[in-house]
Amino acid sequence: MGQVVLHLASPLSKKVAYFGEVSFTAQPTAYAVDVERSIIRYDHNDYFKLSFGRYHTPINYWNTAFHHGLWLQTTISRPEMIRFGGRFQPVHFFGMLAEGNIPSGSLGLGYEVGLGNGRAGVISRAGDFGDVNNNRAWVARLFARPTGLQGFQFGGAIYRDKISPTPALPGDPTFGEWISSAQLVWAKETPEFISEFANVHHRNNLTGHISDSQAFYAQLAYRLPWQQKKWKPYSRFEYTHIPVTEPLFSLADFRVQDLVGPTVGVRYDITDFAAFKLESRPTKRGHKDPEVNGVFVQTSFTF
Amino acid sequence: MRKAAMRKAAKIGTWFTFAFVLGMVLVSRSSAQTNTTPDLAVIVNPKNAVDSLSLNDLVKIYRGERQYWKGNLPIVLLFRPPGSYERMIALRVIFQMTESQYKQYWVSKIMRAEATAPPTELFSGGMTKEGVMAIPGAIGCISATDLRPGMKVLHIDGHLPGEANYPLH
Repeated sequence: MGQVVLHLASPLSKKVAYFGEVSFTAQPTAYAVDVERSIIRYDHNDYFKLSFGRYHTPINYWNTAFHHGLWLQTTISRPEMIRFGGRFQPVHFFGMLAEGNIPSGSLGLGYEVGLGNGRAGVISRAGDFGDVNNNRAWVARLFARPTGLQGFQFGGAIYRDKISPTPALPGDPTFGEWISSAQLVWAKETPEFISEFANVHHRNNLTGHISDSQAFYAQLAYRLPWQQKKWKPYSRFEYTHIPVTEPLFSLADFRVQDLVGPTVGVRYDITDFAAFKLESRPTKRGHKDPEVNGVFVQTSFTF
Repeated sequence: MRKAAMRKAAKIGTWFTFAFVLGMVLVSRSSAQTNTTPDLAVIVNPKNAVDSLSLNDLVKIYRGERQYWKGNLPIVLLFRPPGSYERMIALRVIFQMTESQYKQYWVSKIMRAEATAPPTELFSGGMTKEGVMAIPGAIGCISATDLRPGMKVLHIDGHLPGEANYPLH
């Protein structure tokens, strides 16, 4: 069955609105229910909107453009660098967020600034129950959507947090985390192009050891003009590099693996709101690991 | 004799060319007039301080990228249902989308928490006029032939409906 996602959107007044996203994910014996997003937002004007709740961290374009909408995204899978349950970047963020446009004429600048609990001790999770170390995380993102180039977007973000891993490591070290990212997007269909890069900087606050890990992906798709424009072939290349001396990602409980992997697939839109996808993903993790070939199919729809 | 005949032939040729060009101009003018379709007028509440918008601003407003007038008044988008003349023009010029793409665009926007609902669809030009008069932040598109006195029509790129270079037609 995969995943069923419910979206809730309701204006509470002229300037206050609530948004929610709840997922039901198939598990071997039952469905796991998760509140993915729960946001209450006050809009002062186009330049200042303030919200509170649980978000998809605005450190990454994919994370905030497609959320859990499998129908929204061209491909079957998310990029590895921001996959759900992944550790490379924090997918969720719990706290407050200010966002809006920046008066900039045809450049179309916008911003997002957030303050919140950051990663939990289990670093793939957000600090839903409070900040694990009383040291708030913050995120800032700046982007441009030029008026004359509808669909074009570029920007970057930085994220700062202090990680107190669970289970605790020998000596009980904490880790300073800086994430910087950049995005370049052409959100049209002839062609569609999405490319992102992220650098994760970790510092072991006990030993002073520092390390930088990088990941990027580039995705290209094209809506074919024939057969009522139902076919959309696509391709994506992904790369993740984790140094062997990485103080956190190289440890068993917090491991993030290297990855070199292309994705090739095709999307067939059965109707305006339903799609069928077929995708091949040969991936190679470490140098000594074998290449793994996978073929995946998916049906996604919205209503 | 031959020179006179040639001069006469040239004169006839000149008149013939002139008459042909004049005829073509008249035919093209008359066919242009018969093909003329009414412009799409953009109307707002008379109390709205805005008098003009650039086409880019109008695009941002109708795509939900700009959601407030100056003075922090929320913009209320009024639109016509599928099949209507006003919707056809707006999809082509303002949204630059097909009907399917328009529907998908708003589903996506709501999923992204960028809007709570698509533009409100009203089933006639009269309802659009009433909605704009009743809601302070409303904006709507109606056929220029439906304009009546008392309605506030916005200049788009400095032009009103019916003027040369007006972009919504």
